Amino acid sequence: MVSKKLAIDVLNAALETGADYAEIFYEDSRSYSLSIENGKVQTSSSNVMNGVGLRLLKENQTVYGYTNDLTRKGLLALAESLRSSFKGKRIITVTKLDMIRAKNRNPVKNSYENISREEKIALVKEGIEEIEKLKDPRIVRYIGSFADNHRFVAVFNSKGKWFKRDSEFGRLAYSIIAADQNGFETAFEGPGAQQDISYFRSVVNVREVAKKAAKTALLMLEAKECPSGKMPVVIGNGWGGVLFHEACGHPLEASAISRGLSCFNGKEGDYIASPLVSAVDDSTIPQGWGSIDIDDEGNLGTKRLLIKDGKLVNYMIDDFNGRRMNREGNGACRRQNYKYCPTSRMSNTYICNGKSTPEEIIAATKLGLYAVGFSGGSVDPTTGEFNFGCSEAYIIRDGKICEPVKGATLIGHGDEILKHIDMVGNDLALGQGMCGAASGSIRTNVGQPTLRISEITVGGRGGELK
Amino acid sequence: MKYDKFFALAKEAGIEEAELYIGESYSLSFSLFHSEVDNYSSNKSMTILARGIVNGKFGTASCDSWSAAHAKFLVDSIVANAKVIENEDPAFIFEGSKKYKKINTYNKELEKVSIDEKMKKLFELEKAIKEGDKRVVEVGGVEYSEDAESVTILNSKGLKLTQKSNYFVYVGQAVAKEGKQTKSGYELFLDNDFSKFDVKKLAKEVVDNTVSQLGGEACESNTYKAVLSPDVVKSFLGFYIGNADAEDVQKKSSLFINKINQKVASRKITVEDKPLKRNVFSRWFDDEGVATYNKAIIKNGVLMTYLYNLTTASKDGVESTGNASRGGSKMGTSTFYLELKPGKKSQEELFKDVQDGVYITEVQGLHAGLNPQSGNFSLQSSGFLIKNGKKDRALDVVTVSGNLIDVFKDVLEVGNDQRVFPSGIACSSLLIKKIIVSGK
Repeated sequence: MVSKKLAIDVLNAALETGADYAEIFYEDSRSYSLSIENGKVQTSSSNVMNGVGLRLLKENQTVYGYTNDLTRKGLLALAESLRSSFKGKRIITVTKLDMIRAKNRNPVKNSYENISREEKIALVKEGIEEIEKLKDPRIVRYIGSFADNHRFVAVFNSKGKWFKRDSEFGRLAYSIIAADQNGFETAFEGPGAQQDISYFRSVVNVREVAKKAAKTALLMLEAKECPSGKMPVVIGNGWGGVLFHEACGHPLEASAISRGLSCFNGKEGDYIASPLVSAVDDSTIPQGWGSIDIDDEGNLGTKRLLIKDGKLVNYMIDDFNGRRMNREGNGACRRQNYKYCPTSRMSNTYICNGKSTPEEIIAATKLGLYAVGFSGGSVDPTTGEFNFGCSEAYIIRDGKICEPVKGATLIGHGDEILKHIDMVGNDLALGQGMCGAASGSIRTNVGQPTLRISEITVGGRGGELK
Repeated sequence: MKYDKFFALAKEAGIEEAELYIGESYSLSFSLFHSEVDNYSSNKSMTILARGIVNGKFGTASCDSWSAAHAKFLVDSIVANAKVIENEDPAFIFEGSKKYKKINTYNKELEKVSIDEKMKKLFELEKAIKEGDKRVVEVGGVEYSEDAESVTILNSKGLKLTQKSNYFVYVGQAVAKEGKQTKSGYELFLDNDFSKFDVKKLAKEVVDNTVSQLGGEACESNTYKAVLSPDVVKSFLGFYIGNADAEDVQKKSSLFINKINQKVASRKITVEDKPLKRNVFSRWFDDEGVATYNKAIIKNGVLMTYLYNLTTASKDGVESTGNASRGGSKMGTSTFYLELKPGKKSQEELFKDVQDGVYITEVQGLHAGLNPQSGNFSLQSSGFLIKNGKKDRALDVVTVSGNLIDVFKDVLEVGNDQRVFPSGIACSSLLIKKIIVSGK
């Protein structure tokens, strides 16, 4: 850990050439991961990360560097090297550091470091047992895994503030490969939380998670190829939120907005979605996968309403990108680890509940696609062109869920697609994912209730939908 | 020596054989936005991956800096992790190959080019992109980055190997507008010889990649004869050759099971792994310390070999092919420089052969829309129509679908327009019989 006294000295050294902001990000992170392949423990691995990232700002410029040398000499050398990018006179001197106290919604109660490897293995093996019970020879490879991370962060900045953040994460996953004479199919289930192991004992039904993955892979073997063309699509709750995450979440980050590089620039106050749609980014969900009590710039976690009844009202903003927008950061500044310069990112992002039941939405659809499993997606925030892949889907005929189909990819423009949402369900759920962008790979929740898009382009190999 | 402490502790702890894989890198990057340096970063970093054999099983651990405490953490973790391993795979720490063909992949000249000179070229790049076309409304950003890396393998059998390499990259991104349509495009240049960098050429590529997409609309959903650009072929080829991984074959989860010496692709397809070809990607030893060599993986459409590391090779009773590659705690395989043998026809000649079809220039969202296991893909794409044997209007927001195995079986011609990509893949355009396009 870096002492307050050393932090003040390093900040002042960094500020000598005229930076208007300096920040020390200290991180001590311990992780463990294991994998069990076809019933036998295949890998077991431990990792420690320990380093400091130093960020200097001057107007719209950023200088960033990091080091593993946490001695006074090492940190001062980093400060001296980085400050050489600026050629001005000191404008700030740090004399004291006051602690920012944030509400602790994500307490570390029983660190994963205190849980034995054998106990974690036993947990994963419960699910493995369910897969083996199916005794289906079409399952050729099944991998169960568990990964945990205890991450301690302390940040000191030239506003005279410092804070610490202690958090832990666990994620359990099953990955299935099934095969028949026609080829392979895969399925994945991976629930995670910012909670201790009790989450996997009391909240998650490990056996059901594993069984679900195995059954989806087997079902997809029997599925026909998904039809292609424009069609109505009902998107299932939970992971279906990847639609909003890609199509709108990324273009609403200040990193794109502040530079005029978002398809939503100049649209604040405009209707960018159907009036049925409200959406939030909420980093305050207690023990949520993407929650943070305080962000990397010391701004408290908040619930940000992004879209209100179809109208664009807010963005994910960090202090630095906020400078170009004349806006303060709203607690969205995040990074993967000390090797990444932080920027505005999502936390737990979802479309809010509407009034329809999922059954009503299906019943109201004559012919279309019902997409319930998703494999991720991507977006170009500037053009808003997005895509996401479906790993499990069905055809809806006359208001009923019919045959399964595979290999569907949905594409569209972020600034158009939300306008085509014509029914929103009341069954909001969240799904845990990893989101990759400029400041690395971070944990985020995606989410939504079941909803219907009146028309979207579906790519598949099954010809026209009939 | 710096790492002796680790090997001494490992011995004391009863670790039979131990190994350290040490990656060290120095990186520098800076970017411009609106002619201002908006980001500057300079870093030194280290990755240490340790493994050791206890009772015939591998335990692994890793860290990002070095001290006596780290050495102890690695040793304790290796012992504890090895104890819970249940698989019966043979575990090896390698004593070394008889011969290595050392290649120098570090260009000292790059260090001698001043930061000012590197920065100057970046300003020139931004200006050239901005002035490249009236429809370019914004330079989304230009960035210079360089990396100097070294990989060292040390083990208890006395093996000590080090390879240093370096490279630099210039990237440019542009945004173009016409009517209501906005398109963004980018291009990059990677090498370790600074004198090869041509600002004007890169700027022109960035601008062309961007403005050429304007004015497009989706085409009718149908099956088309197609030319795939080198960029698309690069994306497909990496996943396709992934099926040659011996572990996947042994675990019955590869599309190349029982295909050695059999035809898996069109006879026009020859794919080689060339780690010893002299370029930025050269590697003369793999991640287990085995000497690498050049080899054909597919020759005239016939699968010649699987890709092995020591463990999978021992299971099949063959020699390692020198393709071991670390993926976190797991030793897998990868190619180092994958080359699709170029053909004779230019891209224009391929368009002529197609007459009417599509030219696909880019595919997006591979992690979501391509299943490496089944080979099935359905991907957001952009490109052009081909009409009367010539490139026609742009295609806006369509998907292409198919299966990787079919794509490489359906190749009618390989182009002569080879491009080298930062992922260590060199390939040309392909003319294929059919691809499914979903548009209107």
